[in-house]
Amino acid sequence: MKTGTDITKKLVFAVAVAVVLALPWMTGPYTTQLFILTMTYGMLGLSFAFTIRVGLPRFDSAAWWGVGAYTTAILMTKADMSFWLTLPIAGIVSMAVGFLIYRIAIPRGMMVFLMFGMVIALAIQQLFGSVEFFGGWGGTEVIEAPAIGGLVFDGKRELYYLGLGFLGFNLICYYALMRSRIGRSWNAIGQSVKLASSVGINVVRYRMANVLISNFFLALTGSFYMAFSLVAVPATFGLDKSLNVIMYVIIGGIAYSLLGPLVGALILAFVPEYMRVAAEYESIITAVVIILVVIFLPEGVLGWVSGRARPWLLRRRPWVRSVGSKNKEPESG
Amino acid sequence: MSLLTLENVGKSYGRLEAVSGLEFSVDKGTVHSLIGPNGAGKTTVFNLITGTIRASCGRIVFDGEDITRLEPHKIAQRGIARSFQQTFLFMDYSVLDNVLTGFHMRDRAGVIREFLHTRAAREADERAREQALEIVDFMGLSEQKDELAGNLPHGHQRALGVSIALACDPTLLLMDEPVTGMNPTESNEMVERIRRIRDRGVTVLLVEHSMRVVMDISDMITVISYGKKIAQGLPDEIKHDPQVIEAYIGEDTDAA
Repeated sequence: MKTGTDITKKLVFAVAVAVVLALPWMTGPYTTQLFILTMTYGMLGLSFAFTIRVGLPRFDSAAWWGVGAYTTAILMTKADMSFWLTLPIAGIVSMAVGFLIYRIAIPRGMMVFLMFGMVIALAIQQLFGSVEFFGGWGGTEVIEAPAIGGLVFDGKRELYYLGLGFLGFNLICYYALMRSRIGRSWNAIGQSVKLASSVGINVVRYRMANVLISNFFLALTGSFYMAFSLVAVPATFGLDKSLNVIMYVIIGGIAYSLLGPLVGALILAFVPEYMRVAAEYESIITAVVIILVVIFLPEGVLGWVSGRARPWLLRRRPWVRSVGSKNKEPESG
Repeated sequence: MSLLTLENVGKSYGRLEAVSGLEFSVDKGTVHSLIGPNGAGKTTVFNLITGTIRASCGRIVFDGEDITRLEPHKIAQRGIARSFQQTFLFMDYSVLDNVLTGFHMRDRAGVIREFLHTRAAREADERAREQALEIVDFMGLSEQKDELAGNLPHGHQRALGVSIALACDPTLLLMDEPVTGMNPTESNEMVERIRRIRDRGVTVLLVEHSMRVVMDISDMITVISYGKKIAQGLPDEIKHDPQVIEAYIGEDTDAA
C-alpha cells in the first residue's frame, strides 16, 4: 500500500543521499576534510553503540582503532602490501588480540570489562610509543595512497567517497545484525542479563561475538584513517579519544544506534571548528557541551528531534531511553 | 515418575545456612508447591535449580541428568524455564517482542542465514511470531500485544513474565509468586492458566504466599522453614500438619 508518508519518506531519503553525495562539490577541501573526520569518528561511535547493546561500555575503542591503523601502516611499509589487502588483516588482528584479552574480561561482567578497557587503552598506546618496531612516539608514516587501477585516493574528494564506502559497509552490516534474531538476543542481554540467561541465551558467548565484531570494525576504521592521514601517531589513539567516542554516542542519542553516533560526531567535529577556539580549550568546550546535553537533552539530539518530527522520520531503538535510563537493573553477571 | 530431584542440597553463606539438607522430588505432570514462612529460602531453592547460584553441597537431578554445576543458560536449554518474583521483563520491548525473545532457543535458521535475512530466516521468524501470538493469546494478553512491557499494569506484567517462560517450551516451569499483588479476578485467571499449563504436559513448581491459591491448585506441597524441609504431602494433609501450623504462627496465612 502506497501512502503519502511513504512517498515523502522516500523523497526525504533521496534528497539526503543526493546531498551526501554532492557535499565535496559544494564545499572546499577544508570542510571536506572535516566531513572525512566526521565519518571516521562516526564509525568509532557506531562500534561503541554496538557493544552498549549488550550492556558493555567500552573505553578502549580508540586503542583498537589504532591497532587497525598501525597494522595497515606496518604491512604497507615493512611488507610492501597493498592497502586493500591490509584491511582484512587489520580486522583479524584486532579480533584475535581482542579475543585473548576479553576471554578473561567478559565472563567477569561489565565492571571488569570496563576496567580492562581503560587499562588496554593505556597499554596499547604505550606499546605503540615505546616499542621501536612501531616507530616510536613520533609515529609511523606511509607514503603510498590507496588506489584501484588508475583511481588514486589522494585528493579530499576521492577520500570522502572512500570514507562513504567504509561507512556504508559499517551501516549495512550493523543494520543486518541488529535486524536478525542475533540482534534480538543482544538487546535482551543489554536489558537484563538475568532474564536473558533464563531463556537460554549464552550471555558470555553473545557478548564476546558482539565485542569482537565491534573490534573488527574499529580496526577497519583505523585502516581508513591511515588512507587519509598517512601517519599514525600514538597520541591519536589515547584514552581521551575513547572518551570522545562515548560523547558522540551520547550527544547523538544513545537509543539511536545507527544515526546517533553520526550526528554526534558531526556536531563534535564542526562545533569547535566554527567556534574558533584555541586547541587548548577544546576539551573544556566538549565538557560543557556534554554536561548541557545530559541536563537538557538526556535522549540526545535525535531524541529531542524525534519528539518534534513526524514519527516515520525517526524510529527510536526500543531500549535505553537516555543516559540515565531508570528501567535498567544493575548488572549481576 | 520424578522429573526433578533434589538430593541433600545445601547452600551456605559463610556460617549462615540458607538451605540445608533439602530433599524433595517433583513428579512429572503435577503442580508442586514449595511453601514456607518469609525468609524460608524458597527463592534460594529456585536460584539453585536454575543455576543462578551454585549449591554448596548435594545434587540436583533433572530428567536423569545432574544439573548441579551447569550454567543458567545451559539449564534453560535442558528445559527448565522460570518466571521471576520481581517483574523481570524487557521493559522497553513490546509484549510480543518480549515473548519472541523467549524463542531464542527454538527453530533457528542459523547465524549466517539470519545475518543475510534469507527466506529460511524470514520463515523461521514468521513461525516464531505465530507461536508467540498463540502464547500471548493463551495468557490473555492479545489486546496488549503491541504495548510496551513497562507500561503494562502489574497483573499483565506477571502474565507476560510467564509468557516469556512458556516461549522457552519448558518441560519444567518454575513460578515465583505468580499471583502476588493481583486482585482476586486476576488471581483466579492465573490459577486457571496454571492448570491449563499443567494439562498441556508442563510440570509446574510453584512458590506462592497465598494459601488459598496453593491449597486450590497443588497436587503436592513441600513446606520448608529456615532452609529445611519440615513437611510434604497433599494439600489436605499439609493444612492439618501441626509442624506447619507452628511454623506459620504469627504469619498471615492468607496473604494476598
